[in-house]
Amino acid sequence: MPAAFLVVFLGVPLASLAAQIVSPDTISYFTDPLPWRVAGLATGQALLSTALALLLGLPMANILTRYRFPGRRWALALATVPFVLPTVVVALAFRALLGASLGSGLAIVVLAHAYLNLAVVVRIVGARWATIDPRFETAARTLRADRLTAFRTVTLPALAPAIASAAAIVFVFSFTSLGIVLLLGDANTRTLESLVLRQTSVLLDFQGAAISAAIQAAVVGSVLLWAARQRSAGGTLRGDHLIRPDGFARIVVGIVVALTLLIVLAPVAALVWSSLRSSSGWTLSWWSSVFGAQTIDAGSTRIGSPLAAMGRSLAYALLTGIVAAIVGGMAAVSVLSGRIGRAFALATALPLGISAATLGLGTLLAYGREPLDLRATGMLVPMAHALIAVPLVVAVATPTLRAADSRLVMVAASLGARPSRAWWTGYGPTLRTVMVAAGGLACAVSLGEFGAASFLARADGLTVPLVIARLLGRPGEASFGVAAVMAVILVVMTTALVAAVDKGGRRS
Amino acid sequence: MKRIPVFAATGVACALVLSACGSDTSSTEDPESNEPVTVQLLTHDSFALSEDVIADFEASSGITLELVSGGDAGSMVAGAILAAGAPTADVMFGVDNTLVTRTLNEGVFEPYTSPESAALRPELADQTFEGRVTPIDFGDVCINIDDTWFAADGVAAPTTLEDLANPTYKDLLVVQDPGTSSPGLAFLLSTVSRYGDAWPDYWQRLRDNGVKVSGSWSDAYYGDFTFGGGGDRPIVVSYATSPPAEIVYAEGEPPARPSTSVMTDGCYRQIEYAGILAGTDQPAAAQQVIDWLLSPEVQADIPLNMFVFPARQDIPLPPVFTEFAAQVDSAEQLPAEFVAENVGDLLTEWGSVMGR
Repeated sequence: MPAAFLVVFLGVPLASLAAQIVSPDTISYFTDPLPWRVAGLATGQALLSTALALLLGLPMANILTRYRFPGRRWALALATVPFVLPTVVVALAFRALLGASLGSGLAIVVLAHAYLNLAVVVRIVGARWATIDPRFETAARTLRADRLTAFRTVTLPALAPAIASAAAIVFVFSFTSLGIVLLLGDANTRTLESLVLRQTSVLLDFQGAAISAAIQAAVVGSVLLWAARQRSAGGTLRGDHLIRPDGFARIVVGIVVALTLLIVLAPVAALVWSSLRSSSGWTLSWWSSVFGAQTIDAGSTRIGSPLAAMGRSLAYALLTGIVAAIVGGMAAVSVLSGRIGRAFALATALPLGISAATLGLGTLLAYGREPLDLRATGMLVPMAHALIAVPLVVAVATPTLRAADSRLVMVAASLGARPSRAWWTGYGPTLRTVMVAAGGLACAVSLGEFGAASFLARADGLTVPLVIARLLGRPGEASFGVAAVMAVILVVMTTALVAAVDKGGRRS
Repeated sequence: MKRIPVFAATGVACALVLSACGSDTSSTEDPESNEPVTVQLLTHDSFALSEDVIADFEASSGITLELVSGGDAGSMVAGAILAAGAPTADVMFGVDNTLVTRTLNEGVFEPYTSPESAALRPELADQTFEGRVTPIDFGDVCINIDDTWFAADGVAAPTTLEDLANPTYKDLLVVQDPGTSSPGLAFLLSTVSRYGDAWPDYWQRLRDNGVKVSGSWSDAYYGDFTFGGGGDRPIVVSYATSPPAEIVYAEGEPPARPSTSVMTDGCYRQIEYAGILAGTDQPAAAQQVIDWLLSPEVQADIPLNMFVFPARQDIPLPPVFTEFAAQVDSAEQLPAEFVAENVGDLLTEWGSVMGR
């Protein structure tokens, strides 16, 4: 089934696109030095972004997923917020906060990428960290290992595959970044993705774009292959215990939580401020025009109803979460079953390396015209979103599932359990934990996604990020004010949805 | 061994198949029957009309209009070229004069001359490329000035392209990257049209004078322009219609006058075309949609929805346009064929001059 999903929503669109573009001439475009130079620049930038995201994200993952404190679930959901903020919005907020001191270029691009990808580190590493029984570290420490040694010898080996997985994803996102690079970058922070955009929609140079896209896919594929080969050293840790912090730990937890909130909320605060300001001072007009009777652009097809866009975005997000969790979960499970399974799991990661423009154009060619026009079904956007989210689900689930105790399956089987029952005993609880974490992340992907939706949404079927982009595309303070309101609403929707998914998952 | 996932998989597969099939039956109409005909109108994401104008058309023609979005103008055109001959819609609106040549070379459009095109403005009437596309609207990309800033500063605002390179206006101009932004490309083409082969020298002088380059229009207007947000640049590349938009989208009571104005020198004219996509299975209904786009009702509805000017010459403009939009008599324009052939080289050359 996941294989069919991949073929239908990835294989067929890419084949349709390739059939239009690739010709014997294409190969001669490989000698153009430009895409190779851009690939080099993007690699350096992405390595820096990844290092910073890990530096900030690992302490957050530790505290937010392992310690018991009031409001933990909300703090965890808030940490997902940067991931869904439209890049235009993040770019404006970063410039408002840091533009004066950093200008545009590598430094601010790296900071913005680290910010956007915090959730990836927190979710992927956190999902694994939460399943490590803290008593192992305690045991090590009773054997007179100090705190650092205990971490290094017990926890870190168990975490390594998850960290590698998260690092690979952050690298890929930074390497293929588009909006941030266009808005905050300069000549030295270009990515192949931005080159593909220019080649397809300004130069209409499809052959060149195909080469750039191929190089990008190759780099992304190699990075993901590397991550998939990282093996867990401490494979038998298991459990789902939250630590009650005491004494010194209490202070550390407090500081990290406070820093998390500060980092996550600073750009959000700038948005809230924009949503309440006009040239004449404080105002509630922007909020009332979203929720009140006097809707902005009433009677025009331009924006449609903001409330309808919110409902649509939520529905797409839930559908994305469910489909991605199922497909991704099965892909992750198949990793456990040998070589073919691993090859398949790697194939599910392919969408990460394929630009939104490529995917959008391919899907349009495959399913946007006779004999098979699926646009009216409203299914194309959530399916494209699921495709983008599946690699994340796999990245969250694989390291943790690998570490789940396969001996439990054998024990259960030897006690006479049916094979499926035995399998579920071994993997079920872990699977449920990681699927919830992964499903939440998939919902967030859908809520924030812009590129593919802009190709596939119908003009009267806009999602919230599309509405924001349209508002920001024209002058007038109402446009900017209402865009800020919609961005704040997107933050609230994300936090609420992810918290609800987390909560529902824990209860089931 | 994997019974549970398989169950779930079957469920989802069924759901997918059902929803696909269910909609398939509802969306395919038989054109021969008396069922209303559906025409798909492919547009870029800046397209907008009043809902009642669309409803009136649907009621009077019996055609159901389905708006499909193709992303921004460039992505939409790319999609249309890739699908040439087996189109993703029946009619496309919004291809402009910088991209139109490629669509013509690739056979994207089926020729059609609307009876309504007799009412086109004279300077647009001969720009239909042998009747393959129909001009629907036009707009000018122009330098915009924050008048409040210049009033407070006590310096006269610039009035010509040449002024922008003058040290009086050092560090005051923000433009968009022509490789990623449509107004940015239009401004570059304007300088090419004005300075000919010497255009790189002009940009070198702009660079020496501290021009800032932003990635997109919204980033420049809301991030760098002194009027839009917290920026520090009072001169920006925008549109001739940005001042009226400022009035229309103001908070509460609209101000008596906009606080920005347009520099009418060095504007670049963008013309937007519509055309029937070759390979459509409803050419007759598609022709009706082109006629409608050029009808007085739609043409009069265009200014306040899309902030561009109607292509017909007999349409009175709304007061906010006649008062505050710049009416540019001598906008710069380059032949569409020249742009299509040279845009790649121009962007490369621009990149090397600007160090980007």
